[in-house]
Amino acid sequence: MKLWYSYLKELKLSSKGFYFYIEIIMTLIILVLLLFVIPENYSPTEEEYLSLDLPKAVEEYYLDEMLEEDLDGKVEKVELELDDEVIVADLYETEGQEIYIIKDKEDLIGLTKADRPRIGALISMDSETGGIKYDYYIQGYESDRMKNLYRIINNENIEGIIADAEGIEVKELQVGYEQLNTRQNSVPALITFNGSLMGMFIIAAYIFLDKQEGVIKAYAVTASKVWHYLMSKVLTLVTVTIITTMMIVIPVMRTQPAYWALLILLITSAFFSSSLGLLISGFFDNMTQSFGVIYVFMMLFMLPAISYFIPSWSPGWMQAIPIYYLILAFKETILVNGDMQFVMLVSLGFLLGGGILFLLANNKFKKNLAI
Amino acid sequence: MKRILVIFARDLKVNIREFLTLYIILVPVIFGIAINLIAPSVNDTTVNLALIENENVEMQEYLEDFAKVSLYEDEEALEERVARRDEVFAYVPDGDTYYILAQGNETEQMTDIVAFILAAYEDGATLSNSTAEIHEFGEVVSPIKKLLVNIFMMFSAILGGMLIAINIIEEKVDKTIRAVHLTPISKTGYIFGKSLIGAFIPLYGSVCMLLITGFSDINWLQMMVIVVVSMVISILFGFIQGINNSSVMDAAGSVKMLFLPLAGSVAVAELLSDKWQWVVYWSPFYWTYKGIEKILTYQAEWKEIFIYSGIVVLISIIIYILLMPRIRKGLS
Repeated sequence: MKLWYSYLKELKLSSKGFYFYIEIIMTLIILVLLLFVIPENYSPTEEEYLSLDLPKAVEEYYLDEMLEEDLDGKVEKVELELDDEVIVADLYETEGQEIYIIKDKEDLIGLTKADRPRIGALISMDSETGGIKYDYYIQGYESDRMKNLYRIINNENIEGIIADAEGIEVKELQVGYEQLNTRQNSVPALITFNGSLMGMFIIAAYIFLDKQEGVIKAYAVTASKVWHYLMSKVLTLVTVTIITTMMIVIPVMRTQPAYWALLILLITSAFFSSSLGLLISGFFDNMTQSFGVIYVFMMLFMLPAISYFIPSWSPGWMQAIPIYYLILAFKETILVNGDMQFVMLVSLGFLLGGGILFLLANNKFKKNLAI
Repeated sequence: MKRILVIFARDLKVNIREFLTLYIILVPVIFGIAINLIAPSVNDTTVNLALIENENVEMQEYLEDFAKVSLYEDEEALEERVARRDEVFAYVPDGDTYYILAQGNETEQMTDIVAFILAAYEDGATLSNSTAEIHEFGEVVSPIKKLLVNIFMMFSAILGGMLIAINIIEEKVDKTIRAVHLTPISKTGYIFGKSLIGAFIPLYGSVCMLLITGFSDINWLQMMVIVVVSMVISILFGFIQGINNSSVMDAAGSVKMLFLPLAGSVAVAELLSDKWQWVVYWSPFYWTYKGIEKILTYQAEWKEIFIYSGIVVLISIIIYILLMPRIRKGLS
């Protein structure tokens, strides 16, 4: 009961603070970005610089094929700049690609070096085999595997390989998986950082504020227990996290998420990060001192976002950071038919981890007060 | 000038006694080393394949030219590996041929590449009968490394601003800020003095980071121009937050808002095509990002650096003029 009153009091106090409104404004900005700026389906446009050195008939055939795929069916003349010289190129815009046809081979090489398109290539006839030959111009930092892929994609028997590749059976462990669109896909990463992780930072600021004002010492002489005080702070943070996260998730995802699972995950993960913030703040006297440590944790916790967006890059050490699983679990909660067992497992992990951190923080604060 | 330096020296002393020793010395070094470790491994990522050990050694050797290959005992182990949350495909033997085992959440494009590699192997396509020739320009630093270094440098600038805000608020709490009025130093002098510590961190952090990540041969003068100019905006923001807020929490919350334009500017610069770049023209981070990027790719011309830094300075002046009354009010 006492805990409940402390919690209500904290909540009331924080809702009067300037900070509370910053959180709300920040959430609204993220929401506006999600709804109006981040496109629903975004595929990055990749630039390709090509130069054709082919017999007239082959070249015309090639260009006609490209024109058919062009979004507006028109070739655009564009001016590219190289060492203060203007080079006119033909631009074909297809789905996800901007292909620039550059007449002169030397210009192609110069422009590829300067502008760094994804691919710069010269397509010509091979006098020995009579087939088509591709000369790729690349920057050099591409890995050997990538270079080998470029080579193998252009093979004498290319048509046969493509036909065979289409015939290969692909078995999927999870059937009926629906991909999230770009906008939805950015939600898990955003709510992880705006909600769950910021709790760590904010709770530390909260504690130092109270330390300055002597609130913590005052607590020592009341009938309330220290853990009540700490828990009421944690619960306030958890509440703010739930409000701000739901403000983002509901308008963007509507009825698709499993809200009950999302709620459980939010509560446990916010509990974890604010307990960590509590523990860190127990070791320092003011914000300036603890700032470095909190900052290092925040940077470390942000790293798994790279793996989230580039799933083929998830090294072992990355999978040792708990936040890696948090982002993935948030994703499961908003997916159609998400893996709820995984979400519950992650929630349990954060609950246990948070519990241990909270106990440690409680001990630390008790000791501090005893001195 | 001397008095300004005295304030700076005092800030430095106070901060070093506290956390700053840890932060200043270690963090850029740690992140520098981390970037050196992470960048090549991200760059090397094509596809990840899982195979059964010793089932087909020749195939395993073939595939290693194109993908990261890991080996497992039997089909069950393969299935367990594919089911994990990262992106790994398996080639599972099925009579004379193979099928692909996927988790089901991979993109179509990735699955196509995996199927193509398998078909290329089965059809006996080799690198020697390729119709493509590769010419390299000899560039060795990957774009991902530049991106990470660039973002870190901008982060340090924000951190500088945050530190100024926290410093000022602590002065306020200790009531030392009022005492300044009784000393011979002017208000402007005080502002400069307080800002120096915030300028010191990004400068040190950037130089340290650039040296560790191997960018020691860039045009340092150009880089310093951009770094100094980019600091102005965060310092200004940090100072305003420090003056107008009474608790560390409020300031921390509002500095948090600086992260948004930073992340947005980088995302637009990297992901959107040229015709959408104007969306973030208002953001000083966008111009800083572009400037640093040009310098890191050794392509920056002085003309561009002056234009970019000029725009950042102009935006800073506009913000300063708009917020001037609040600064005066906060200081009095």
